[in-house]
Amino acid sequence: MLIVLKIAWRNLWRKPLRTLLTVVTISLGLAVLLIFLGIGDGGHYQMIESAVRMGAGHVVIQKRDYYARGGIDRFLDRTEKKRAQEWVREMEELFPIQYALSRTYASGLASSADGSAGVLMIGIQPKSEREASRFDDKLIQGEFLDATSHNQVILGEGVARKLALEVGEKLVLMAQAAGSPEIQSLLVRVKGILRTGLEDSDQTLILLPLATAQSFLNLGEGIHQIALLMDNSGPSFEVAAKGKERLPSMEVLSWSETMPELVDFIRIDDGGNYIMNIVLFLLIAFTVLNTLLMSVLERGREFALLHALGLTPNKRFFMVLFEATFIAALSALLGFGIGYGAHLYLHIHGLPLDLFYSGDLSVAGVTFDPVIYSDLSAARILSSLALVFLLTLVLALVPARRAARSGDIHLLGRA
Amino acid sequence: MNSNGIILRLEDVSRIYLQGEETVRALDKVTLTLKKGEFVALAGPSGSGKTTLLNVAVGLDRPTEGQVWIRDHHLNSMGAHELARLRLNEVGFIFQSYNLVPVLSAEENAELILLLRGVPRTERKKVVHQILEKVGLRGLETRRPAELSGGQQQRVAVARAIAAEPALVLADEPTANLDSETALSLLKLMEELNREHETTFLFSTHDPRVIKRAHRVIYLVDGRVDRDEAQSE
Repeated sequence: MLIVLKIAWRNLWRKPLRTLLTVVTISLGLAVLLIFLGIGDGGHYQMIESAVRMGAGHVVIQKRDYYARGGIDRFLDRTEKKRAQEWVREMEELFPIQYALSRTYASGLASSADGSAGVLMIGIQPKSEREASRFDDKLIQGEFLDATSHNQVILGEGVARKLALEVGEKLVLMAQAAGSPEIQSLLVRVKGILRTGLEDSDQTLILLPLATAQSFLNLGEGIHQIALLMDNSGPSFEVAAKGKERLPSMEVLSWSETMPELVDFIRIDDGGNYIMNIVLFLLIAFTVLNTLLMSVLERGREFALLHALGLTPNKRFFMVLFEATFIAALSALLGFGIGYGAHLYLHIHGLPLDLFYSGDLSVAGVTFDPVIYSDLSAARILSSLALVFLLTLVLALVPARRAARSGDIHLLGRA
Repeated sequence: MNSNGIILRLEDVSRIYLQGEETVRALDKVTLTLKKGEFVALAGPSGSGKTTLLNVAVGLDRPTEGQVWIRDHHLNSMGAHELARLRLNEVGFIFQSYNLVPVLSAEENAELILLLRGVPRTERKKVVHQILEKVGLRGLETRRPAELSGGQQQRVAVARAIAAEPALVLADEPTANLDSETALSLLKLMEELNREHETTFLFSTHDPRVIKRAHRVIYLVDGRVDRDEAQSE
């Protein structure tokens, strides 16, 4: 087989320009694939991170049926909260859980001297939320809540505009309290105004300290949700699965269950990317096929000679496969170099989408950074390299089969 | 079949081609036997079936009728892989138009059969150096076919054909593209190898100078053996 390898390698350099053009074409295809995958995965990662930090978290623990039916009365009471917190502490030993944030949720009405608006009031732990979520970064006026903030709130920009409120001004919140048909009201003062970038959210969001919310909504020490934030979304599903087993009276949901529209968007986006990659590789495939087939057709006399000398059809078959393997290996090396280099640049400096779009970027209800940072896993790289190899080898089967069958002895007579 | 020193045997071999709607009988019930150490010329005008006979004799072409044996191997009943292996192990081939592998050097071309047979490197190199010396190509080992003259290329082809000491060497018009001097020198080389190694040679030609040097001449006319004559050396 050594001589077959040697002939295969030297055959590549018989027409070096053709071989180099083929290698460059495949390499660029691979590089573009790696860049697309890096940007795609990076964008999705950023979307998920933005969504979990601005929203529900990687994993949430709630009263059973709260996700589907909501309701002020479906809260975790003191005992349930304690049980959930104990389980979270166990999980902290096993998974990279950074924060466990207690929250309350209530729909209600906010009124000022200039009008009223329907709002979503979220009771938060100011210190933890400030570190964990991105609400703090979105402030456009005033300050974020802190331990001393009682009866103070942060308004979404749209709420503030509708109610014509500035920082330091007062408004009244009204909502139904737990366990009571009565409407409660609370006078609060604006401490800050934030802009999430999401119109729906900005039109309705009000953040208030957890203790204020618990007292206002008559929850005692109860909460509606414990949101877990991790240093990456990878283990979310495993944590949620363990939670479902250990806390059967509650619902433990991963981000993909609380934000199915985001999952759908990522799936559709992945689908689009796959189609684009398929088109890209079809174009490359025809280049490879053309090169290898031409190379075999041009060498009819040589294959006839090798056939006459006793080179078995199998060896002639493998000779062409080896040529394809060399092309694939060179292309993989070059393509990986270009693709990984581009990925590293985009991982550090990012791709500024605001060059192409203006305003905030939001997808499936999530606002995300307009600078996308490439994120490429080893599995993605290996599968891309394997794809290039496999594709090249599969395409080489056609000319290889032809080489194995060739052996037109009449070609040998031609001087 | 017991070979009894028989290297090649053709029995009632016919080869019929279809050319358009016309049937061409390239070989017509040819029967012949070659024994070890024979130096045989296959003579006849163009189109008499010389090349077809050589091709059929080594399984490069299948006979329409008749049987072919190389030693004890019945070629009719062998598949493509077996035939390829048989040619590799038993037959050396010299073609009219050199037919070297263009990407291999003279030395690599000469050792090609040995390599394919799996002969160890040391032994291979020793044999090839001796053969290249014998065919007068010492010093040209690293040159590729495109860097050699026609005569030199044909010598490499001869070196390749005989390096593995095959039982049978077939040569299709080996001197057709060579000048008289080179042709004569090549012929002498073939005679020498025949004498020294008892290699059986069967070469097609219509060159009277070459025919004159053969020990036996088989004349083909219209695909049939017209005469089969021994010649004194």
